[in-house]
Amino acid sequence: MTMQTMLTDPLAAMLLAAADDLLMLGHVQSDWTGLAPILEEDIAASAMAQDDLSHALVIYEFLGGEHDLDPDTIAFDRNLEDYRCCDLVTVPDDFDWSISLCKRWLVASYSKLGFDRFATIEGDIGQRCARLRDEAAIHVAHLNNWIIRLGTGSQESNDRLQQAINKLIPEAGMLFEPPDAGLEQDESFCCGRQEIFEEWVDQNIATLSQANLQGTFTLPDREAVGGRRGIHADHFVEQFEEMTEVRRTEPSAAW
Amino acid sequence: MSGAANPVMPSDITINADPEKLAEFESRIADGVLIEPGDWMPDEYRAMMLRMAEHHANSEIIGALPEGEWITRAPSMLRKLALTAKVQDEVGHGQMLYRVSQELGKSRDDMLRDLVTGKTKYHNCFNYPCPTWADIAMVQWLIDGAAIMNQKTLADGAYGPYVRTMNRINMEEAFHFKSGEDMVLTLMSGTKGQKTMTQQAFDRWWPISLMFFGPEDKPNAEELPPMKWRMKVERNDSLRQRFVNRFAPAAIDLGLKINIVTKDEKGFVTSTKPDEAIKLDDSTGNWSFTEPDWDEFWRVIRGNGPCNAHRVALRRLSYEQGAWVRRAIANEEVAVPPAA
Repeated sequence: MTMQTMLTDPLAAMLLAAADDLLMLGHVQSDWTGLAPILEEDIAASAMAQDDLSHALVIYEFLGGEHDLDPDTIAFDRNLEDYRCCDLVTVPDDFDWSISLCKRWLVASYSKLGFDRFATIEGDIGQRCARLRDEAAIHVAHLNNWIIRLGTGSQESNDRLQQAINKLIPEAGMLFEPPDAGLEQDESFCCGRQEIFEEWVDQNIATLSQANLQGTFTLPDREAVGGRRGIHADHFVEQFEEMTEVRRTEPSAAW
Repeated sequence: MSGAANPVMPSDITINADPEKLAEFESRIADGVLIEPGDWMPDEYRAMMLRMAEHHANSEIIGALPEGEWITRAPSMLRKLALTAKVQDEVGHGQMLYRVSQELGKSRDDMLRDLVTGKTKYHNCFNYPCPTWADIAMVQWLIDGAAIMNQKTLADGAYGPYVRTMNRINMEEAFHFKSGEDMVLTLMSGTKGQKTMTQQAFDRWWPISLMFFGPEDKPNAEELPPMKWRMKVERNDSLRQRFVNRFAPAAIDLGLKINIVTKDEKGFVTSTKPDEAIKLDDSTGNWSFTEPDWDEFWRVIRGNGPCNAHRVALRRLSYEQGAWVRRAIANEEVAVPPAA
């Protein structure tokens, strides 16, 4: 069992897509620790970043066990094109809390739906993902509250959130890109793409409505290729370079 | 990172309190009774306690910055998680200490504004650079180790809310120290490159650690308000000696060399020579050592350190960039109504 066998395994492709989203989302958000607008929310957002990183690690540990790989190797040492994250998670927030909040909100509601489905898989990975569902649900609830709170907080905060939503929505549909070309033909793994998308949109629209915000979501064609199939935006590459900067200085070392 | 050490406190203040009330207040402190926010206290005590707690809170949230810069570069999942949690802890310490300070009469926004406009200070050690991953290990090992030593004594102080906060913080600091110790041990067991990087970081942080406890106290410190009122309970020199006794042999055991260094204005070491004074005096049980450069200490504390401007500028940027969120929360009573 090797990296190559993992990368060509259909279930691993789906799991890596979920884990890589959370790795990079947690990575980007962790950079806000100490710099968020309110101390109490700084602490909460950092806790959620740690949850995201931990949830990714749970999946990497499972895959490491299945394919005889070190979880850190899976997390940090793959080739760029072998990462399966959607480009939405590494969209630069440029020190703008509205981008950070809306991005995390869009990904959290998607991730929760993913964990609900992974939890139905019999065996180890199903049990692991079932244990993560409660924390994922807390993220969705917390972020929903903040979208509503700032959407209705002031005209200024409403405007800022609307601008962030407008910026992120075009990227958000690519959360639903199948992570492997072969999976396009395999309904057992990609089943219900339309159904999950509609469930995700319904949840999002309900929150946006309460927040006095608008958004129109569209599901891209299956043929649309992006991060899930290794074609990444420059901002992913920049984040990846930074994330592995120290590790690459002494590739064989323990840290 | 912890910023526990005390600000340089005024010791020659004039106390204008009712003599009878002052005597009773001092008697309670001498008896080990904790002073609570609703109790009578001299105005000078309230002002000094606020200054101390605010300085400590400022140090915690400024102290989050140098380590925070390395979260995105942490070289393994566990180090990344541990460092994020550690920096989060420091922000949490800041939050608790601002709450203590708020109860002493200053609003949080006033404190954050005074910090970013340079009106108030934070611990000097955060005005130095962390150019490598090994610096993060040194900060967690040496600076958090020093902070624990200092804060354990502060937990024996007299102001109830501050004492209780110190007790909570110290439990978390113990984890930070263990994490730092593990990082240093891992690096010193690693490749030649890792060991070199670690020695260079140690050279940068050893003198800063010695300065951590502040300059020598006045000869009559025990009779002056900060110690008389148990705002601090141990002399700076005493704490420094205990630190050296603990960390000099530990560093030597790890294979680190204790050097006397000179630095440039950016905080980078320009020359090293072995500190020949480092040795154990069997008769006292104390390790002797060369004092740090106290001229440098005063230069940095007056705002001319390698990173003073950078740290305050980043906190100011954070304060300004997040203002719209705080305005929206404050304005909730005039909120935009939800869509029908």
